[in-house]
Amino acid sequence: MSAAPGTAGSVGPVVPGGPSGADGSGAAGRGRRQLMIWLVPPLLWFTVFMLIPYCMLFYYSLGSTEYMTFKPGFSLANLGRVFCEEPYLSVLLKSARIGAFTAIGATILAYPVAFCLAFHTRSARAKLLIYLLVIVPWWAAYLVKAYAWKTILGTNGIINALLLELHLIHEPLTLILYNQFSVILTLIYIFTPFSILSIYAQLERIPTSIVEASSNLGATTFETLTKIIIPLSLPGVLAGAIITFALATGDFIAPALVGGPDAVMISNVVINLLGVAFDWPMAASIGIVVIGVGTALISVSQYLEHRAQARF
Amino acid sequence: MTTIIEARQLQKRYGESLAVRDVSFAVEEGEFLSLLGASGSGKTTTLRMIAGLEIPTQGTVLFRGQDITSAPVAKRDMRMVFQDFALFPNLTVWENVAFGLKLRINRGRITREQIKSRVGQYLDTVQLSGHADKMPHELSGGQRQRVSLARALVTDPPVVLFDEPLGSLDANMRKVMQLELKRLHRELRKTFIYVTHDQEEAMGLSDRVAVLEDGQLLQLGTPDDIYFRPSCAAVARFIGAANVLQGVAAVVPGRPFGVQLAGGLRLEAADNVAGVADGEAVTIMLRAEHTGVMPADGDAAGGLRAQITERLFLGEKVRYELKVAATGLLLTAVAGGDQGRLGLGDEVVVTADPRHVRVLPRAAAPRVEA
Repeated sequence: MSAAPGTAGSVGPVVPGGPSGADGSGAAGRGRRQLMIWLVPPLLWFTVFMLIPYCMLFYYSLGSTEYMTFKPGFSLANLGRVFCEEPYLSVLLKSARIGAFTAIGATILAYPVAFCLAFHTRSARAKLLIYLLVIVPWWAAYLVKAYAWKTILGTNGIINALLLELHLIHEPLTLILYNQFSVILTLIYIFTPFSILSIYAQLERIPTSIVEASSNLGATTFETLTKIIIPLSLPGVLAGAIITFALATGDFIAPALVGGPDAVMISNVVINLLGVAFDWPMAASIGIVVIGVGTALISVSQYLEHRAQARF
Repeated sequence: MTTIIEARQLQKRYGESLAVRDVSFAVEEGEFLSLLGASGSGKTTTLRMIAGLEIPTQGTVLFRGQDITSAPVAKRDMRMVFQDFALFPNLTVWENVAFGLKLRINRGRITREQIKSRVGQYLDTVQLSGHADKMPHELSGGQRQRVSLARALVTDPPVVLFDEPLGSLDANMRKVMQLELKRLHRELRKTFIYVTHDQEEAMGLSDRVAVLEDGQLLQLGTPDDIYFRPSCAAVARFIGAANVLQGVAAVVPGRPFGVQLAGGLRLEAADNVAGVADGEAVTIMLRAEHTGVMPADGDAAGGLRAQITERLFLGEKVRYELKVAATGLLLTAVAGGDQGRLGLGDEVVVTADPRHVRVLPRAAAPRVEA
């Protein structure tokens, strides 16, 4: 090696394929140096936009606030406040509950779609069409989609207009908007595609012959589903549910647009702490807790996924 | 012998193409029947229609005289062994084998004790007793196929279907499993329907072989029939190494039956020549091992002169590719002993015992169709 491993990380004037030194560094050394150059942009990106922000978050969480200004320090008091002081813990738990309902709802809706896509759509064109129908809503901005639910569920919204027109109600329903229900409904709508694709990717891995073998051995469709297909698809279900749970729990737009005072979620609290109360250490501490819980969840789910992942 | 499965004019159409066209045959109880053909011949589709995994476009499948053409897969009294084994990756070897039996618990037809002893017995049969608690991915290809075999046999089905079961095994393991299958068939006396593209496998294992090509059944007969009395040129070419030649019958009373080939060459034939008229176009088959080669020293008026263009060492025998000098006709010969010592480029005289020169039936002359 002409370049010591220690210097390879720095963005030095390393010329790919340049004349190699007399110490016998050959094609392997050149290949490694070229790889390093390819790795520099992503490493930089990761450092500037992820590693440094994480460190800053941690740094801010250790400080304190005096007269609405940040004061550096070294105290875990703010982390403690997350668990002891109202409303942080209860909002956090409520967010997690909303996230869990979203994940469950999205999974229940996604499974049949993914199942049909994987096993009951024979023609490639129909498959592509369904696939597109699942993905196309993503092309629209999230904000627009969340706003659309406001016009569907609102006092002058489509549902109320329809019910009034049919004379089923005499004054607009207010129960369906600005509460946890409308937030969960919106979040399920937004995040179901994640679950569909995650479950579908897993179901696609199941060879048709396994399903055929099951029915050939005398299993009914239901028995094949419960004994073979669902167990084999669990890793995908789990992965989809975790993504949906994480995205929904930390969501800001849905509670802001369609949630009322009852549906304030943890992100809304953080935004208020940052922009209204200027309590940055508290906001950062909540961030640390959320990231910690998220990391723990993902680790557990990855462990479970790894254990459940059957090798075909 | 009674018929257990009958296919009547089975047809399967995929869009524009016909995968199987008018295939009819009957399988006897306890028989080992192979469906033999190249890929795309329709053999697997035919098997899958019997299993119920494909619904025929036309035709019927009968099981003990009952129409099961559109009966659900799960309701058919037959088990299938898949090419990719199709083991359940989330279940252990034991659970895989017990799968079919456990389904019967719910239906009250078997007890847990019975399952235990039966699964144990069949794991013994396929020599996998020590692997009961392993997961499928921990087994070798041969072991997986044994599990899939045990899983199919443990429910005691009257018919077992095999879809190229040895296709994904290496050559040695394939030989071992062939013997195993033959033994199992002899011991269990079940009906085996076996799809393969490997003619040696089909000929070696089966009581009868059905040769398919292009979705059509060309011939159904014992390996002996198929080999020595092929119904048409396609079967003759497909099985073993054979020279299939076109000629014109030369029938002169008092002289042996002759076939005039292109370029003034002449062969005498004695097999299946009854009823062939003088001047009639005929197709004849001469198997490579019945094609003699003699060093062409000096005068050899009686035979075809040819040159060795390729020499392949087969072990106890040698295979020669020959080119007849006069007409450019290509022949294959397999010879042993002294005849095996000829070299590349040698001039030889090709000889043929008339008893082995077989005139192929006219009725099933090779189809000329796109």
